[in-house]
Amino acid sequence: MRRVAVVGVGVTKFGKHERSSAELFAEAARDAIQDAGVSPRAIQAIYFGNVVGGEAERQLHMGPQAASVLGIPAVPTTRFETACATSHAAFRHAVMEVAAGVSDVLLVGGAERVLNLPTDSATEYFAFASDAAFEQPAGLTFAGVFALMARAHMAKYGTTEEQMAHVAVKNHRHGVLNPKAQFQKEITLEQVLASPKIADPLKLYDCCPFTDGAAAVVLASEEVARKSRKPIWILGSAAASDSMCLHDKKDLSRILATERAAQAAYRLAGRGPEDVDVVELHDCFTIAEIMATEGLGFFEPGTGGIAAEKGWTSLGGKLPVNPSGGLKAKGHPIGATGAAQIAEIVTQLRGEAGPRQVDGARVGLVHTLGGNAATVLVSLLGSE
Amino acid sequence: MSKVITLKAFFEEARAGRLTGIRCGRCGELAIPPKEFCPACQERAWEPVPLGGHGTIASFTVIRVPPRGRAAEAPYAVAVVRLDEGVSLLGRIVDIPLDALKLGLPVRFRPLVHDNQTVVGFGPAV
Ligand SMILES: [Zn+2]
Repeated sequence: MRRVAVVGVGVTKFGKHERSSAELFAEAARDAIQDAGVSPRAIQAIYFGNVVGGEAERQLHMGPQAASVLGIPAVPTTRFETACATSHAAFRHAVMEVAAGVSDVLLVGGAERVLNLPTDSATEYFAFASDAAFEQPAGLTFAGVFALMARAHMAKYGTTEEQMAHVAVKNHRHGVLNPKAQFQKEITLEQVLASPKIADPLKLYDCCPFTDGAAAVVLASEEVARKSRKPIWILGSAAASDSMCLHDKKDLSRILATERAAQAAYRLAGRGPEDVDVVELHDCFTIAEIMATEGLGFFEPGTGGIAAEKGWTSLGGKLPVNPSGGLKAKGHPIGATGAAQIAEIVTQLRGEAGPRQVDGARVGLVHTLGGNAATVLVSLLGSE
Repeated sequence: MSKVITLKAFFEEARAGRLTGIRCGRCGELAIPPKEFCPACQERAWEPVPLGGHGTIASFTVIRVPPRGRAAEAPYAVAVVRLDEGVSLLGRIVDIPLDALKLGLPVRFRPLVHDNQTVVGFGPAV
């Protein structure tokens, strides 16, 4: 298998946009292509992610739509969908195509637009990614899915609402340093704890927002990447699943798909959690960050809340997590999130993250979770 | 031999008040249908088993921001219930005050209907 690198990244401003997902993707892709220093005609295929375009924009078959707007309509495209892990899944498959020698230069990314919808419609469409026989008819929402896991984690380990609030405060503090973030304002622990309940024990500030946005990266084979400005190498990329419906999961206080994907990615990379300098992980809800830091092997099971409380995961802490602001502050355009996380880690490993730079970062980890924790992707990237 | 319980069959029985699980004839795994192979041992040897519908709350949440069409019902509780037979089932809590909910609370299965679809519900144990 050939080595594969990210040679270009592009991310739109996250927030509300008056443009279609295809237009948003084209903007991010344009920036990624220009950053890579390649011609658009060098792109041999597009791996494209989008989740609720059918419901939100009456637009399926969005791959060729995005390619058309970008101006390379002849390029083959495929749309990926693994709920919130969508564009990270697209990334892993694109890496395999380059590694296998089928293509030398690929464009990967995703886009989502939902802020044109009322909140209850967006909540309904996102819930389509949960089980349609048991979870949706019961009226379960995604906040509800993570609330059920939060309560199990609290009962087993004594994790507190205050520890979860620390995650939100930290990610908002990081978001202030990211001009692309949807929220660039600090919040206090008291504000989080006093915010309205969404799905007990989760409150408004435990939840990431609905977001419009897009992100894209350009992948290249080693031969092409060697000629580029600052290639960042894919050390290992892995995916794992777990049972779909929550009642089929063996332990609600653990995310088995995270543990499985992490073990596979570490094995592929020949690295372990101790080698990781910076992390972008899936904090769709504050409890999700706590559980991810445990499942990825950074902290012992049950101690993720303590790590958040002690500031270990803050910029300047022993393992900075979500320097971009994470899904919580940067925003969560679900089809674009994985690619945006990868773009942030590439920027960090290039040493170009400005005020949110993790000094001397050489190995970064990206973790993206889909749906009711049934899909997880983990990739390790390195500057060498 | 293995008997497949379809979702349709599971919910037709459930609407009549009867819960059906499936037990693996090889490893004893108890599961909620539908499943082809056993997720624990990958054998295909399911036998249907009736479930009594009694259990305790393993986790619960109170939904205060509901999906479209459910606003009139909110706030409402959804729980994962550990049934006495040792398998979990997710459903809507009814007829239990929200502030009385706690982990370990005994509950009992009750079929609900929403938009003509059968929904798993749990009410007070007695
Ligand atoms: Zn079995």
